[in-house]
Order: sequence, then C-alpha cells, then structure tokens
Amino acid sequence: MLLPEPSEVLPEELAGLWRGQFGGPAPRPLAPRETVEGYGTFTFPYGPISMGVPESGRFDVVTYGERILELAPLGGYKQRSVLAALAGTPVEDAALRIERIAGNFSAAHVAAFLAAAESARGLRVPVVELWTRALAQELQRIYNHIHVLARIAEAASQNVGQAQTHALAEEILRLQARAFGHRWLFGALLPGGPARNLDRAGRHALSEAVRTPAREFDDLWELYLDSRVFVDRIQGTCPVPREVAVRWGAVGPTLRACGVPWDDRLRVPEAPYNDLFVALAREHDGDALARLLVRVQEVRASFLLIEQMLDRWPADVSLSEAPSPPVRPGRGVGRVEGPSGDLVYDVSVAHDRIVSVAARTPSQANWPVFAFGMRGAVFTDFHFAFESFGLVFAETDR
Amino acid sequence: MPSWIEQAAHRGILTSRYPRERGSDAEVPPTGRAPVPSASAGPTGAAIAGCPVGAIGPEGVEPGRCIRCARCLAHGYRFGGPVEASFRAPPGRAGPEGADVGDEPAPLAPLGRSLHLFLVDVGSCNACNLEVLALANPFYDVSRLGLFFTNSPRHADVLLVVGVPTDAMVEPARRAYDAMPFPKAVVAVGVCPCSGGAFRGNPGLRPSLGDILPVDRFVPGCPPTPVQILDAVLRVAGRARREE
Repeated sequence: MLLPEPSEVLPEELAGLWRGQFGGPAPRPLAPRETVEGYGTFTFPYGPISMGVPESGRFDVVTYGERILELAPLGGYKQRSVLAALAGTPVEDAALRIERIAGNFSAAHVAAFLAAAESARGLRVPVVELWTRALAQELQRIYNHIHVLARIAEAASQNVGQAQTHALAEEILRLQARAFGHRWLFGALLPGGPARNLDRAGRHALSEAVRTPAREFDDLWELYLDSRVFVDRIQGTCPVPREVAVRWGAVGPTLRACGVPWDDRLRVPEAPYNDLFVALAREHDGDALARLLVRVQEVRASFLLIEQMLDRWPADVSLSEAPSPPVRPGRGVGRVEGPSGDLVYDVSVAHDRIVSVAARTPSQANWPVFAFGMRGAVFTDFHFAFESFGLVFAETDR
Repeated sequence: MPSWIEQAAHRGILTSRYPRERGSDAEVPPTGRAPVPSASAGPTGAAIAGCPVGAIGPEGVEPGRCIRCARCLAHGYRFGGPVEASFRAPPGRAGPEGADVGDEPAPLAPLGRSLHLFLVDVGSCNACNLEVLALANPFYDVSRLGLFFTNSPRHADVLLVVGVPTDAMVEPARRAYDAMPFPKAVVAVGVCPCSGGAFRGNPGLRPSLGDILPVDRFVPGCPPTPVQILDAVLRVAGRARREE
C-alpha cells in the first residue's frame, strides 16, 4: 500500500469519519467482499446521504481513480426492525407494517405475507380477493418498471424522455389511487382498507383508463430505441454472466435478463394466473440494456394481464380457494413475483397472532450480483447499473 | 417518424394548477386527507380501540400519527381533513383543523422566489422519497415555482426529511443540516418523522424528527401527496396558497 491508512495519520475520530462512520450501529455488508489491493487504491465512501441514490445507504467504492475495482454496498442505515417487532401483533395489524417495508413494492410484500399467513392459519381465500391482489401487483409492476426506465433516462440526460416517462409513472399512481383508494396501495389489499372502486362500473372505467398509458408507453419506448445515445450508454453496462446470476441466486428481471426462464407466476400457476396468459420476458446479454428490455416486455405483459383480468373478472363472489398447505401447523410460506423479483415470506402464527416472520426480498438476492457486475466499471456507469436492478435499501433494512 | 417534441405536444399540458387553485381530487385522493368524524358523534370506544397506531384518542384524531389505514371508516369516520395540512409543532392532539394557517413565520421569506431542495432519507419505506421526487415530474413541475432539487446540502435552502429517524442516521442528518447555509428550513415529510408512524416504538428508532433537528413544518400523511409537500415548502417561503 502506497497511501497510509487513515488511522495512521488522523486521530481515531477523524479516521472514522474519513471512512464514513458516523456512530450508531455499524453498517452491514450486503454483498460478499474480496479485498482488492494495489498501487494507489483507496476506498471512497459514497453515502449514506446522496441525491443520486434517493435512499440512505452506503457504497464503499474501491478504486484507483477511474475504474471501480470493487463496490461494497452497505445497509443498516435505515434498519427499522420491522419484522423483529411483529411478534405478538394480530395478523391484520402486522400486514399494515409489512406493506410499509418498501412502499413501492407494497402490493407484492403484502400479497406474499397474506398468502403465508393464510397458509399458516388454513384460511380459505375468496377468489375475488386473489384476483384483486394480482391486479394490484400488476399495476405496481408497471409503475416500478416505468420508474426504472425514467430514472435511467434521467441518468442518460434524456430530458424530454425522462419528463414524459416520469409523467407516465404518475399516471399509473393516479390509476392506483382511483381503483384502490391509495396511491401506493397501502391498506388496499387488507380487510377494512380504503374503499375500492372495482365493481362492474369501476372495472370498466379502469380498463378504459389503462389503454392510454399502455399506448403512451409503446410510443415512448419506440422513441427511446431511436436514440442511439441512450441505447449505446446502457448496452454492455454492468454485465452479469448467467453462471454468476444462477450461482448467487439472482431473481426477477436480473435473472431473466441472463437468459434464465424463471418467473414465479409460471412456477406453480395459482389463481388467477392459471386462468390467464402470462408472457415470459427473457433476454440473454445480462447487461443494463437486457434488464431494461425485460422490464419493457413485462410492462406490456402486465398491461395485457390487466386487460385479461378485467375482462374475465370472477362473477361469483362466493367462490373461495384453499390456501397452499402449511409447512407445518401454524407456519406457512408465501411466494410471489414482485416487480424486482421473487419474494418469499415465512410466517408463523399462533391464535391469530404473529409468532415470527422471515422474508427473502428481491433486493437482498440481487445486491451481490449488482456488486459483482460493477467490478471493472467506471464511476459514470454507477447510476445506470444501480437503477437497472431495481434495488431498494428499505427491503434489506427491515 | 414521430419525435420527442411531437410526442410531448400530443400529450398537451399536464401541469397542476396548484397553487393557483386548490389541489384537485386526482392530486389528493381521499387517503391523502386526515380522517374526521362524519357526524357529531365523538370518538367511540370502538374507533379508539380499532386504530392500530393509536391516532384516535378521546379528544379526536391526531393527524401526525394517522397512517391512513382506513379502519376508522367503519366507525363513522371519513377522509375529510383539509387538503393542505402541515404543522409547525410536532403534531399533538390538535384535531384535524389544527393546522395553523395564516400567520405562521416564514423563515425563508427573505430568499425571494427561488429555493433549492435537498432530500434526506433517515429511514423511510421509499414511498415518501418517490413522492418528493415526483415534484419534479411534469404534473407538478416545481421549477415553474422557482424550486429546484440540488445534489448537495451546501447549495440547499430546504431540507426535506423523510422516514422515521434511525440511530444510524442521526449524525448524517445533523451533518447535512449543518452544511446548509443560512437561512435554512427543515420540512419533515410523512407521518414517520412526525411520530414514527407504523413503526413507532420499534427498537433503534427516535420518536420524532423534532428531537434531532429544528423542524419548521411537519407534513403528515402516509405518504403525503406531492401537492401537500409543495404546500409546506411554499409555506416556509411565505408563498402559500391563500383562500380567496
């Protein structure tokens, strides 16, 4: 090492600050680390507060000045101890906290949690309720994918494009508010939540209303593809080889962009997906462009799914389905395909109260793959790469 | 072949008429407002017991604790609070009309018509972050009002803080505040910095942002809508919408 360690030249307190340590609990590594050393390398702490990543989390960038030799994402800054504090709360109250773990993935989280809790309690679920959950999840998937496209366009300085795409995302939020009473679907899938607008007239209005954003999205994407600057910038950025994605358990668009045909909606088709046509999105290059292409295909697939759902909405409200069998009495597992990937909840319940909850979130699975893909990238690749994975610190700091 | 310009022109003007007009129903859905008792009926025992976060007490609804879960709708409440409802003090049981409208001090009034905003997340679920960033989209387009997002607290006039303060974020948040030049203001966005929201009482969390930073406005809501965040920012600048 050519450069002295900060603790050799600075008092301990300042050396800690130099490393980006501010007191409080120590940050938690989100990806395995390899120690990279060499002539002139140093660690550059990015975060926990930065406008580039609008969440609090830190990245330790090991670099010699231009290339990123290693990137270590560190979480724990917004550890809210949500799951640990759930023991003893009634299942419905716990669901209110679960959906606030990651606000932009709320429908997926609450659907997986409810499926696990229903399996643990052996409750039959009304079929209409399953369809409503799927509808909410597809809307939220569209929102998140469009948001990712807008953020990447923002990083690529596609000013008109990012404004138009952010506007489209806002239109989806307003659609969610109109159909489910809440812009982020909080409470919308729970008993006693905000009033839904999904009766026959509401469904008709929704199916009319989703046509405009679907068409606008297609127009926008065509314009993006015409922009050589935009496509060039993300092509080959942060590539993840298929073996790495499989070995480290990547999920969602990240995995499908490496050519692995894995989508939880197709794994064991459950209601309502067993009744609908689900298109599998897949690409092969594993770079930021491939991940974006998968998301674009999924937006189209989700618009198609919504159209099918609203067209074939179950007429008989009295129908119900048995939950998936419990792992053992009082303990169930729920699994859904969230916007960023496969999401699993493991819930133990006794006397309608939570005993323990564990979760495997898509961000948790994808952080190591992101860190791997960033090796050898340059600084300016960071935002394109980060946004293309759809990572959320709130999902790991739970 | 269509171009970006044609595409943008085809969609027409999307921008909100706020603050010239009141926030519309599309901008502030029912859950954007605090619940109020619909009739003269005071808070019943069932409503108090049914509130999962203890926002309903014998004296009324405390908006700074309400997470808008809508459970109280079954007990004679409706989402009918004011559209623009932000608070100077950490919200106590002020009642839904407790927002002090009119004569509050505007710490940033000397800065004239342009402000720079900086977002600090101290432990949020990401929904408030996205609602704050939504202020830049064409529907709200805050640059028409002279508001801009900046990438450094050293260029910022308003610190927008989202999330329930975690122990680990206390020091970074203070440093961001210290780095700002005077005059400066802090706007706490969402129910989490008001009272901890849904996570109130979890280990490692501070009960309110007011314990860490001098907060000028608290914007309750889970999450508040962009129009409501915009209202609080304009209020600290002395440019709030006035009722004609």
